[in-house]
Amino acid sequence: MLSYVARRLLLALPTLVLVALAVFFLIRLAPGDPALVMLGEGADKAAVADMHRELGLDQPLPAQFLTWAGHVARGDLGRSISSGEPVAALILTRFRLTATVVVIAVTLATFIAVCAGMLAAWRQDTKLDMAIVGASTLVLAIPSFWLALLLLLLFGLKLGWLPFVGYVPFSEAPVQAALFVVLPILTLTVGQSGVLTRMMRSSAIEVMQLEYVTHARAKGLSEAAVLRRHVFPNAFAPTLTLVGLTLGHLLGGIAVIETVFTLPGLGRLMVDSILARDYPVVQGCLLFTAVVYIAVNLVVDLCYPIFDPRVTAS
Amino acid sequence: MKPIVSMGGCSPPVRRARRALGWIAGLAALAATQGAAAETLLRARLASDILSTEPGGRRDGNTDDVLAHVVEGLVAYRENGEVGPMLAKSWTISPDRRTYTFRLRTGVTFHNGQPLTAADVVWSIKRYLQPSTHWRCASEFGPQGIGRIIGVAGPDPRTVVLTLDRPAPLLLQTLARPDCGQTGVLHPSSVGPDGTWRAPIGTGPFMIGAWKRNQYIDLVRFPRYASLPGPRDGDGGGKHALVDRVRFIVIPDSSAARAALLRGSLDVIDSLSPTELGGVVGDRRVRLQYAATGDFWLLMLQTRDPLLADARLRRAIALTIDSAALTKAVTWGTSRPDNSPVPSTSSYWTPFQARLRKVDLAEARRLARAAGYRGQAIRLTTNRRFPQMFDAAILIQAMARRAGIRFTIDTVDWANEVQRYSAGDYQGLVFSFSVRMDPAMDFDLLIGDKTKDPRKVWASPAAQALLDQASRSDDPVTRQAVFDALQRDFLQETPAVVLFNATRISATRANVVGFKEWPAAQQRLWGVGFCGARSC
Repeated sequence: MLSYVARRLLLALPTLVLVALAVFFLIRLAPGDPALVMLGEGADKAAVADMHRELGLDQPLPAQFLTWAGHVARGDLGRSISSGEPVAALILTRFRLTATVVVIAVTLATFIAVCAGMLAAWRQDTKLDMAIVGASTLVLAIPSFWLALLLLLLFGLKLGWLPFVGYVPFSEAPVQAALFVVLPILTLTVGQSGVLTRMMRSSAIEVMQLEYVTHARAKGLSEAAVLRRHVFPNAFAPTLTLVGLTLGHLLGGIAVIETVFTLPGLGRLMVDSILARDYPVVQGCLLFTAVVYIAVNLVVDLCYPIFDPRVTAS
Repeated sequence: MKPIVSMGGCSPPVRRARRALGWIAGLAALAATQGAAAETLLRARLASDILSTEPGGRRDGNTDDVLAHVVEGLVAYRENGEVGPMLAKSWTISPDRRTYTFRLRTGVTFHNGQPLTAADVVWSIKRYLQPSTHWRCASEFGPQGIGRIIGVAGPDPRTVVLTLDRPAPLLLQTLARPDCGQTGVLHPSSVGPDGTWRAPIGTGPFMIGAWKRNQYIDLVRFPRYASLPGPRDGDGGGKHALVDRVRFIVIPDSSAARAALLRGSLDVIDSLSPTELGGVVGDRRVRLQYAATGDFWLLMLQTRDPLLADARLRRAIALTIDSAALTKAVTWGTSRPDNSPVPSTSSYWTPFQARLRKVDLAEARRLARAAGYRGQAIRLTTNRRFPQMFDAAILIQAMARRAGIRFTIDTVDWANEVQRYSAGDYQGLVFSFSVRMDPAMDFDLLIGDKTKDPRKVWASPAAQALLDQASRSDDPVTRQAVFDALQRDFLQETPAVVLFNATRISATRANVVGFKEWPAAQQRLWGVGFCGARSC
């Protein structure tokens, strides 16, 4: 197992180098100058040149890349051009919040998807199945920003149950912080449960048609036992892959939801940095996202044997 | 807690659901009581976080607004656009108009309790002029600016003498500019021993409190603030902190900000998007204010472009634009059209400046033909960060088409548009300039040598001469004549088409008193307080 993990981590290294190269050069290909964005429309050429010199932007691109890569290798992602904060600290602070929201939401969505998907498959082609399929298609079709605004207006404004601006961290006011993340979690849960439910349903239907399930029924096992012991573990493996991909994708930032609910998360940081051409932050965020993506998928791969004993690390 | 009380006859699942909702409501109430403290807290919206706490350094409009509560300069803009005293009680100008002698007010203390002295002013100005500070207005005091500062001294603790290499009538206006951080006077302990920035220790009515990046920034009332007498007047006048704490909350989404105001989670939205007006007009919980500002929106035309080099084609484009209709559509009827670079809030804005160019499609066609225009596409750059710029581009395109002039719209992000503006890399560009309190400064944004400074719009030696004349003079009659002449030439040569002056819309909770917009388009929360729990 350990050698498998080590092999996977080694294989990830070239991926990370490619990501680093791509993010460094692609962001610089985009027109726009961070010095101009910072200094504003009235800045004169001398001030812009000074700023370039201070930020090291007057150096040739390969030299800039080598300097940055050298710092990254030492664990230093640099400092934000806009705020002057260390990028690594900035990312970790923002990631904590994003990860909290995403992990809870994906866990809830997975739970809903497993229950609803299994139920729909078990009652295939009945009204219940159609209702579940219809509901999951509906939530899939709703754009997340619109759903977020609807929930905000209903629970935040109309009913007044939940706060939605003025986020405070858990360390300062745990109750208030918990209330702040309810609506973002709800928005994400609803959105993600749709796609996961459909995947779970189709996998379960496929598994239910296999001979060993018929055999289990023929042995006289109860439907609950058949579903729990024979259908679920095999049907869940593809859904788990999707859960991994979803987690990796969402942990990279949920910018729209963070913007609507004024959550200072990783997605908003990334969008703001792109707009401000804050190169060190954009590079740091994308590199960090790649690492998270690789890590999440590794963990998911390591979880496969739990559900499907035929899959082993070797 | 009502749902819990009334759930007796429900089925167990419904009861459980209601119980859960009851818990949520209970926790919300608990959180609300936690937030309610004895101190008075005024909550205002910022659409994005401030960039730093360094006045005039790493800055944007939000940074200027917040820091205007913390630091003060020698002089400050008044409501009517004139410059008045702030930390300086008075000043004299030498006969050669190169030396300004400021007499400081007594009894002013910094937030750390230290008294204000001339040495602090000298230290602050010298620090601003260092290149490492990246002071926004350093270039104004360089070779291309209004005049170079060749000396700043404090002969006694109450006197500051500032000497320039040439007469600079715009000196006081420049020192007071909000984007220059009002050249705020700082205590030297605002920086560390190595010169690195710590926090602003100023003389303003509020001190910097907690700053949670991208969440909020708190300003705390400075109890020993020495206010000028009289009412609030622009950035000057009486500046009384009526609340214990001001919290600027970062809310990027305008719909969320509006919902927060309606719910009572926010007290002030200083710059409400016109698109959000529909949700608050007529709501008794909210008060709205509309104020004309000096921000001006315009279509810039690249005079170096082979096609647009002919002034007849530029005039033809201008003749197709119905400024009134465009302004009404783009600003939802909240702003007034204006074709003059002199803002409608200026005392130099007269009926001459107020005249709008009339649409004349036949003349536009004739001029375009005479200029040799044969339907070539003209690239019009705009962006979606400011929806009004995008909408304006769409309307300009449609209006020009009526005279056979073809625009293709190129939508880019804001950083890209700023770069194109700075490099002069455009044919047409929809843009806006933030307020300048003196028309000479507005014209200075437009006039200049494009070979030296490609962002300049109007490369005309005659216009430059007129601008220099306006900058050298402080006689209102002379200046009015110069601005009228500039206006005439500007319309004739049409290097740009000014579309409108923006109106700033603010929304406050009904129990907020004292909030007032002003032409500088700057959020001021001194003199603002509450008159009751819900409304007055």
